Amino acid sequence: MDVCPQSILSVDGLCKSFRGLTAIDSVSLEVRRGEILGLMGPNGAGKSVFVNVITGLYPADYGAVRFCGRDVTHLPSFALARLGIARTFQNIRLLRRMTVLENVLVAIKDHVNRPLGSLFARNRVGFVSAAMALLEHFYLVDKRDWLAGSLSYGEARRLEIARALAGKPSLLFLDEPAAGMNERETEELGDTIRASRKLLEAIVIIEHDVTMMRGLADRLVIMDAGRKIAEGRPNDVLAQPNVIEAYLGTDGADE
Amino acid sequence: MIQDYVVFVGVNIVLAWSVYVILLAGSLSFANGGFMAIGAYVSGVLTVKFGVPLVVAAPIAGIAAGVIGVLVGFPALRTRGIYLMLVTVGVAVSVKAVIESIDYVGGIQGFGGMVGTTPWHVLGLVALVGCGLTLLSKSPLQRILDAVREDELSAASLGINPVYVKLTCFGAGAFLAAVAGSFYAHYLIHISPDQFGIVLSVFIVLYAVLGGTNNMWGPPIGAAIMTLIPEFVRGLEAWRPTAFGLVILVLLLIRPNGLLAFRIATTRTKVALTALDFTGARSD
Repeated sequence: MDVCPQSILSVDGLCKSFRGLTAIDSVSLEVRRGEILGLMGPNGAGKSVFVNVITGLYPADYGAVRFCGRDVTHLPSFALARLGIARTFQNIRLLRRMTVLENVLVAIKDHVNRPLGSLFARNRVGFVSAAMALLEHFYLVDKRDWLAGSLSYGEARRLEIARALAGKPSLLFLDEPAAGMNERETEELGDTIRASRKLLEAIVIIEHDVTMMRGLADRLVIMDAGRKIAEGRPNDVLAQPNVIEAYLGTDGADE
Repeated sequence: MIQDYVVFVGVNIVLAWSVYVILLAGSLSFANGGFMAIGAYVSGVLTVKFGVPLVVAAPIAGIAAGVIGVLVGFPALRTRGIYLMLVTVGVAVSVKAVIESIDYVGGIQGFGGMVGTTPWHVLGLVALVGCGLTLLSKSPLQRILDAVREDELSAASLGINPVYVKLTCFGAGAFLAAVAGSFYAHYLIHISPDQFGIVLSVFIVLYAVLGGTNNMWGPPIGAAIMTLIPEFVRGLEAWRPTAFGLVILVLLLIRPNGLLAFRIATTRTKVALTALDFTGARSD
């Protein structure tokens, strides 16, 4: 594992617009080693676009992204994944016609990095048991031979996180992991994420659920209309007038 | 006669697999008739004009077609879906046109003198490719290919390079088609460009699709059935093509996902999962 500086990811002045519509307006932030960073903001604040730009789905217009001190701004998403940046998607993207176990196995780094070499891969039993351990961690062992497309919503969310962890990433982006979950499922998910901490250097969570984030995140970054408007400890940030205004104001306008 | 059946069915099985290999990564190729032509002509020139043994010439022709496949595939695979299909149609058409204009291999008159293919060559090739695909179907590589076919974006987020994977499959498919073409040419003795028209490419795709493309056993079954049907309905004389077309239509109506539509999971050998008939999707 590379020796990373204190900040594992640093984003500097990132800008992204779509046909003149500014989605991200010069956002800078740091993800520190060992933390869970919460990225919050009203709908349309640019949180998902921000993650999509960092993980190489969209090219950045301006700005720089450094991962462990290395400039990764223009790398494609598969290269970022190999470096150790994993992610889940807002609209779950599982390999629906593959089994639950296969979904985790497919992400194993040794195979992904050398696809042709994996034809003669050794230690397959070892990889399967590693994948089973991950499934156990996410309460999915019983479903291992189900098709991923037949899982319930909460199970699919958990499987996506398990799959992202199978590549042994050092940084994980979770894009609205609790979306569509009920209260109990959200609570369980929070526990699972907390328990996953030790597997990673840092986790960035995009989430609406204030209660969940208050309990989970070490730090919060609040975005509104493509800008970063606040940053700090959850309780401090969520008490700031401009944060409350951004949430209530936009919610009112949305309805 | 039985010799003819063995050779033609065997060659068509390998051709069907050549389409299957490309489909594994999610691209549909109508260029394989063209790659087959490249294999037939390159190996023919090597054996007839340079005296290279057939078993050496066939893989060389395969590699030549594979390299051409990768060179063509690199820009082609940047297009998707229906556009990629049209590009591969273009490849098949241009390969035929290029061969027609090369006097060295006889132009539209064709090229002759290739001999040496025995049924054993073809059976050996089928066995070899079959073993390779069996190995593949149980390896982690199968999962990587499945992932690229299912969802490229998702695959890329796991560190899989979709372009590299698709290009490798395209090259491998071209290689197989060319090797099959080599043995085909050395059985027919004389070949001409009009044997390798776009209809041939369409037929090769039909072999694979009719048999089912979710596992490696579908394409050979499709190829065998489609090669033998015209023989079974020989008594119909002038109505043969019509009967043949009807059988294809009926098969596609009864089994729209191919005769063998199930997918075999890579981690459990005994469980066959219906993949394309898959209805367990939840709305999300």
